[in-house]
Amino acid sequence: MRLAGKIPVEPLDEERLTQIERRVVTGAVDAAIRGQRLRAPGRVLRPVIAAAAIAAAGIVGWAMRGAPASEPVAGPPVPAAPAVPEVRVQTAPQRSMVDIGDARIESDPDTAFAVTRPGGGVLIAVARGKLELEVGKRGDRPPLVVRAGDTDVVVVGTRFSVDYGDGSGDVDVRVTEGVVRVVHLQQDTRVAAGQQWRTRAGLIAMAGDPRDAAAPGTGEPRDPDPGEPPRDRPRPPDAPAGLHDRRAAVPDAPAASPAPARAAPPPRPAGREPARPRVPARSDPRVDLRAAIRAQPVEPALDLGAPNPASAIARYYEIAAHRSGDEASQAFYSIAWARYFRQGNSADALQTLDAYVRRFPGGKEYRAALWLRVRILCLERLERSETGGGECRAAAYTYVHEAPDAPAAHLAELLTQSE
Amino acid sequence: MLYVEDVLLVDRCLTGEPAATRELFRRHKSRVHACLFRVLGGNRDMDDLLQEAFLQVFQSLRSWRAEASLATWIDRVAVRCAYRHLAQRRRRIATDPLDDDAPGAMTAPEAGPGARRQLARDGVARLYAVLDELSPAARLAFTLHELDGRSLAEVAELVGSTVTATKLRVWRARKRIEAAAAADPVLREFVAPAGGPVIRFPGSGAP
Repeated sequence: MRLAGKIPVEPLDEERLTQIERRVVTGAVDAAIRGQRLRAPGRVLRPVIAAAAIAAAGIVGWAMRGAPASEPVAGPPVPAAPAVPEVRVQTAPQRSMVDIGDARIESDPDTAFAVTRPGGGVLIAVARGKLELEVGKRGDRPPLVVRAGDTDVVVVGTRFSVDYGDGSGDVDVRVTEGVVRVVHLQQDTRVAAGQQWRTRAGLIAMAGDPRDAAAPGTGEPRDPDPGEPPRDRPRPPDAPAGLHDRRAAVPDAPAASPAPARAAPPPRPAGREPARPRVPARSDPRVDLRAAIRAQPVEPALDLGAPNPASAIARYYEIAAHRSGDEASQAFYSIAWARYFRQGNSADALQTLDAYVRRFPGGKEYRAALWLRVRILCLERLERSETGGGECRAAAYTYVHEAPDAPAAHLAELLTQSE
Repeated sequence: MLYVEDVLLVDRCLTGEPAATRELFRRHKSRVHACLFRVLGGNRDMDDLLQEAFLQVFQSLRSWRAEASLATWIDRVAVRCAYRHLAQRRRRIATDPLDDDAPGAMTAPEAGPGARRQLARDGVARLYAVLDELSPAARLAFTLHELDGRSLAEVAELVGSTVTATKLRVWRARKRIEAAAAADPVLREFVAPAGGPVIRFPGSGAP
């Protein structure tokens, strides 16, 4: 005889079970909410911190713009910097180099700029030409500002270049290290390493690797973006030596015509790291971002040769259920991939990706899963032309945080700044 | 196959989605209830215990890493709750053979004539009366293995012990029941009915 099965289980009546279920569900939901709060204490403070940061940035920006903007910046051409006695000047046959202590400034021939120190900060007003700057960490000191026409580049420590052409056209900012803020027509744009900002195009990805791009003393980037029109910067020999009235010199940015569609990127060579996306320069930042997201390769799913998505997903389930380690990780990721790319089911794909991220924090496809989340959430938002996009930004932030050295990190960083 | 579904369901529960919480509860309530019923011997205190077990499950859900199946993990949480309950209320577990909540009360009416059903109910009640005298750990090991039909390895995993220790606890519980059955014909009839196959506890030599 076996005792197993000899003790029949008396079922609980439905009313009792319903009561238990109600209490359990209520308690469980409370626990989940409490857990989320405990896991993310910063969420409560984040809006307060953000508001304080915005207010502080506004005050600093207002202070920096205030005094110098009231009167046109004028002064002699390089190398003279009359208002800054500590400026040291070096000259070279083709280029000039100015070390002002806070920064090292290299200038192209026929470049005119003036350096002043309003309120403890540094203001470099460019009349024309191109500067390449290497700025040391500012710490608590007021930022260094490069002003080209009605565009301010606010720096806290980085390496970048500002090209103002003949002093009457577009401003071209290229960042090779760190981050700068570009303030133009009351719009504040964060430009990170590897990114470029132009008056008409706005924020775009810099052609080639930022390390290959212009660095002090190296001239133009070695790998210009083929999709961009050649930058024509006439240098009239009779250009005035003094600084222009920056307000009068720079007209309002005209509406940019859309750039021709860029051809699809070439197939990615074997390897897990996708190539850096090329972002077409367009006037609509949403178009830029959408194109950049689409251009970013996505880690493919496990190829099982299944004829249809449903059978492929069923096979992935089976593998995820019965295997472990990398195989399970890849199968799990593949479920999300197939749901999104083959079934077009974003909601289920996101749910699977969320589960993947929780289940396989060290999985081989972890970064790929995080990027797929960014792609799904941000593309959906951009295609619906929605504002807000908290989920997109949060996903992008997570990606940047978890994969700061990944090729798509700078694009994700851009997405964290998107509205 | 349920593995992925479990992971997805747990994720939804962690976001505080009531529908997911309800679904998880409904999926596992019967098994957990049956397990607790066999450990306790009745439905008395079952409402509180079942609720406590599932609340514990949901509060700890974030710690489930899918290394074990969700069902096993939930059972482990439930068994821990049962252990605490037994430890706290060891002397208060009802052993009244006429209690309607006693497990024998639910013997199917068509199982046999009234006298036999009554005998079975009495046998169950006396079995749990003996189990009440055991330590919570021994009782859990015995009930999960002998009454709930789980393997020793599974029981060891559920109670967080080794297989050897679990086996020893089960063996001691059997010895205790054999000793009680020797002096109690009703219990003896229940564990080793005259007309049926005989329970043979390994190494005991007792019928």
